[in-house]
Amino acid sequence: MATPRNLTVTSDHLAAVLEGRAYLLCDGGMGTLVQAAGLHTVHEVPDLLNLTHPQDIAAIQRRYVEAGADCITTNTFSANRLKLKDTDATVAQVYAAAAAIAREAGAPLVAGDIGPTGALLEPLGPLTLDEAYDIFAEQACAAEAAGCDVVLIETMADLLEAKAAVLAAVENTSLPVFATMTFGEDGRTFLGTTPAIAATTLSALGAQAVGLNCSLGPVELAPLVDQLAPAARSLVMAQPNAGLPRLQDGETVFDVGPKEFAQAMEAILDAGATVVGGCCGTTPEHIRALRAVLDGRPAPGPIVEAAAPISTAPSSTPASKLPVPNPRYEAAFAVASAQRMVRLPQGQAAVAVIGERINPTGKKKLKAALQAGDVDYLVAEAAAQQRARADILDVNVGVPGLDEPALLTQVVCTLQATVPLPLQLDSSDPAAIEAAARIYAGRPLVNSVNGKAANLAAVLPVVARYGCTVVGLTLDENGIPPTAEERLAIARRIVEAAADYGIPREDVAIDCLVMAAATNQAEVREILRAVTLVKQELGVRTVLGVSNVSFGLPQRPLVNATFLAAAFGAGLDMPILNPLNARYRDTVDTFRVLNGQDEGCRYFLDTYAGVADPYDGPASGTAEASAAAAPGESAGAPSAAGGATGTASSRQGGAGAPSAATCPIPVTPTFADVPESVAALAAYALEGRGAPLAEATAQLLETHDGLAIINDIFVPVLDVVGLKYDDGTFFLPQLMASAEAVKAGFDVIRAQQEAAGAAGRDSATADPTSAAHDAATTSPDHAAPSPSSRAIVVATVEGDIHDIGKNIVKMLLENYGFPVIDLGRDVAPQAIVDAAREAGARLIGLSALMTTTVGAMEHTIQLVHQQLPQAAVMVGGAVITQEFADQIGADFYAKDAAESTRVATQFFGEEA
Amino acid sequence: MELTAQVDIDEALAFLGHRGQALGPDLAARIQRAAALCEAELRPRGVWQTLPWEDARLFLTGHDLAAHVDGYPEVVLMAATLGPESELMLRRESALSATDGLLVDACASSLVEQAANRLTCLIVEEAAARGLTATSRYSPGYGDLPLTCQPAFLAACGADRALGLRTTAANMLVPTKSITAVIGLKPVLDAEGEGVVVPQKAPAVAAGAPSRSAAAGGAGSATQDRCATCPLAPTCSLRAQGRICYGNPA
Repeated sequence: MATPRNLTVTSDHLAAVLEGRAYLLCDGGMGTLVQAAGLHTVHEVPDLLNLTHPQDIAAIQRRYVEAGADCITTNTFSANRLKLKDTDATVAQVYAAAAAIAREAGAPLVAGDIGPTGALLEPLGPLTLDEAYDIFAEQACAAEAAGCDVVLIETMADLLEAKAAVLAAVENTSLPVFATMTFGEDGRTFLGTTPAIAATTLSALGAQAVGLNCSLGPVELAPLVDQLAPAARSLVMAQPNAGLPRLQDGETVFDVGPKEFAQAMEAILDAGATVVGGCCGTTPEHIRALRAVLDGRPAPGPIVEAAAPISTAPSSTPASKLPVPNPRYEAAFAVASAQRMVRLPQGQAAVAVIGERINPTGKKKLKAALQAGDVDYLVAEAAAQQRARADILDVNVGVPGLDEPALLTQVVCTLQATVPLPLQLDSSDPAAIEAAARIYAGRPLVNSVNGKAANLAAVLPVVARYGCTVVGLTLDENGIPPTAEERLAIARRIVEAAADYGIPREDVAIDCLVMAAATNQAEVREILRAVTLVKQELGVRTVLGVSNVSFGLPQRPLVNATFLAAAFGAGLDMPILNPLNARYRDTVDTFRVLNGQDEGCRYFLDTYAGVADPYDGPASGTAEASAAAAPGESAGAPSAAGGATGTASSRQGGAGAPSAATCPIPVTPTFADVPESVAALAAYALEGRGAPLAEATAQLLETHDGLAIINDIFVPVLDVVGLKYDDGTFFLPQLMASAEAVKAGFDVIRAQQEAAGAAGRDSATADPTSAAHDAATTSPDHAAPSPSSRAIVVATVEGDIHDIGKNIVKMLLENYGFPVIDLGRDVAPQAIVDAAREAGARLIGLSALMTTTVGAMEHTIQLVHQQLPQAAVMVGGAVITQEFADQIGADFYAKDAAESTRVATQFFGEEA
Repeated sequence: MELTAQVDIDEALAFLGHRGQALGPDLAARIQRAAALCEAELRPRGVWQTLPWEDARLFLTGHDLAAHVDGYPEVVLMAATLGPESELMLRRESALSATDGLLVDACASSLVEQAANRLTCLIVEEAAARGLTATSRYSPGYGDLPLTCQPAFLAACGADRALGLRTTAANMLVPTKSITAVIGLKPVLDAEGEGVVVPQKAPAVAAGAPSRSAAAGGAGSATQDRCATCPLAPTCSLRAQGRICYGNPA
């Protein structure tokens, strides 16, 4: 919940509104009336009418004042620096004029209007969060300087953009901030945000009112207001259209008349809205009718306390008792991405699983991926956990030597653009948490703060500023105390300190810190007791990192699952665990039946009915085997279970074994003893079947050298694939599937070599000259520039957002053993040069699809040749030809992805 | 409005350069999965707005479109999109598997194409009800109709507010799986004998519209005609198959 601030409240009526004791009636549509006045074609930016036609705007607004509106919205929907850039007007000028007009029209209160920037934020568009924040801050300050009483942020479709606007207004003005988003008939914004997610996120950021506007009429909006109100820790606002827009003879018309509109608004008022008005198609008559409805209703409901004050706290600060002016607010622990929310309402039994797999502690592959900047690996981990029904994803990227704030930000950006689950930002570095929380499109969970005074002072302001929820660890300057009561005492201090920063207790979860049963056996029961005590005494949610309990014991999943069940019984709400483990899923799924969360046992019946109990029957051998056969496994997509490797495990064993007779590659003397294996590998590669190829590779590795498998089988078969593609026997997806299948084989060999390397770190004997070396041992330790680097930088040039071709090139190059640094799409020339310099890359691949962006390609080539004379550039893309490549000074032209591997092989071959 | 559309797998394969190669069971299953994923996760939407050509030509510049709608006093500006969810899905799929990313991308291209066809049908049907006949679709970036018209185009047809469509600095549409196009309208009576071309990919239109309008030439001649001014024509793989991209090269 946002840091409390001192509001400038300009009238008694506004004060009553902010306390939830009075309605506020805003005005209705402006565009419709501007059009009726024949002014809609005067300017491309209609806000300029404030400067050129002030009397006409005042006349429209006066009609709203006369109709009974309390608050007039300035005509500044588009008055941001992006939209005004081709005009002579400044943002400040437009707001000053617009506010003066509204005053002149007799407005009792004036709302400084702020609409969307019109540009898309990253990752879909080019605008950064900080740029959006600056744009909105300029508008909000201009509105305050112009004498507005309220800042009204409206018609937002992107939650992140709305967040930037609310933050900018809250942090740069002392005005009350109202914010509305616009929803479609499916009850979501374009980007999939629900009213409840918007309300949770924006009210936590400190908006005084949150709500909905535009798109729909009052009848359609009423159920959405009903969904929004319980999640809004603020006033609830609604400004519907006069019905759904309809085309009639090419004109947009709205059908809901004033009387019908006002009647339909009753349901919205009943649902909890106290700040109301109209949007497109509504007129002064609609507002007049709504005025009559409001005047006929009793004043809105009484104020409720957010939560009972901490019973034993000697001094609760005013912030902890901040009233919530919305009587429909239901306190809940809520974490939300832009698309999905996990909400645990106070007093309701519900558990949520936090997936722990994105954490480099003890995970070498993940650590290497982080060091190599391979964010795709993390996406695969995230997607696998999503399929395994994790509710929240923990994201920890703490690797010594890496810039954690930058890396956590990058990873969070990527994950929120690919996986809908809400994220837990897991870091001990408050700077990293702040950087990631700021750019997060939603309401993140921060893990963690602890009971140390310095830590509370460093972390809680960040949590408050960005409206996060937070996990508090029961440790302090004296370490982790052994008893439940001592843990409770620290938890209490955390909850109280949070309240001092304006963070209500429903936003806090406490982690009582699991100790290993093998080392601290007596404490296990204390931990469970602490969970119960914390929940009873403080009324907060609880978190536990479950798997610590089994450290040092055999059969860890068995111990963990048993502890998990016990902890659920003690009151655990959010276990942090590996959701890919079927045993844990079984415990969670079963507990959700027992605590009533799985309504009607529906999920349990769907998933477990008719599935054999793994303990029944002859197969019940080791714990490992029973875990693998557990019914939960069937719920997820099997292809994800292995993380980033193979995509085709579900298809394994589909076809019969290929015969040596039809083997498309020669069997070398090294493999003369196993011609069938060579034929099988080649056949799997040609068929694009990754899982069986990986399996066959693993088998062959038991008797043969990995490097030989690469050089004698993989490389020749990739050449065959390339030839088939060239002569048209294969088309692109077949080329890709084959390459991907071979990559699964490479991964097996790489894993084996890494294991061997770890076993005998100093006896490095691998041949450093072959392609296989780079493929198999590209590790972060070697990420520093070295003259022999075969690294290749690839990017889609600035202005171009088509990256499919570049992705294909990347994948094939990786298959040929080249370490590829993928900069993504729409990459600025200097960023490409900088990345190549940093990596010591001497070959750069550029892609462009559209004729309009080949200029950027030429510019990039010039910059590379100027600043990195040793580097060469290869280009490709739909519109690029050899002639064109020559013309813009490219060193190489690749007509397709297969060609790019030949260019690269030749380039580095000649250099060697 | 929502648009009912399904992935045309043959079309998706054509976007991928398929020329009759045997797919094998694995690849065929992956393409089916990609198509099913697009249809399950994405909801194509569209919007259109009718304008007098006199107003529209202020921001829809160039000779080629003017020639295309010559004699048509009204134009419809239409936009169809798979929505921002498509961007998330494409990013996720290509991060998980480059091959699946490619297949899903092609299926999404087909889905938005089919959605645009569906929207074209609706526009032509409504025009027919008003006694109007329609030209085929004509997209920005095609011929000498510059991509720089996209921001004004989106504002004029309401696609920015209704669909959340935006443009990049280089005036490409975001989400990428989006199509904007112009359709000319004129009274049916004037269409007599003037060879109005009915959209190639809209059989429902051909069925619902006056049958004479379908007589203006087969796909081949239309392709040559449409692509005459396209800078990508010499290398376009769709054109080689006798298909039209309507200014949205795959």
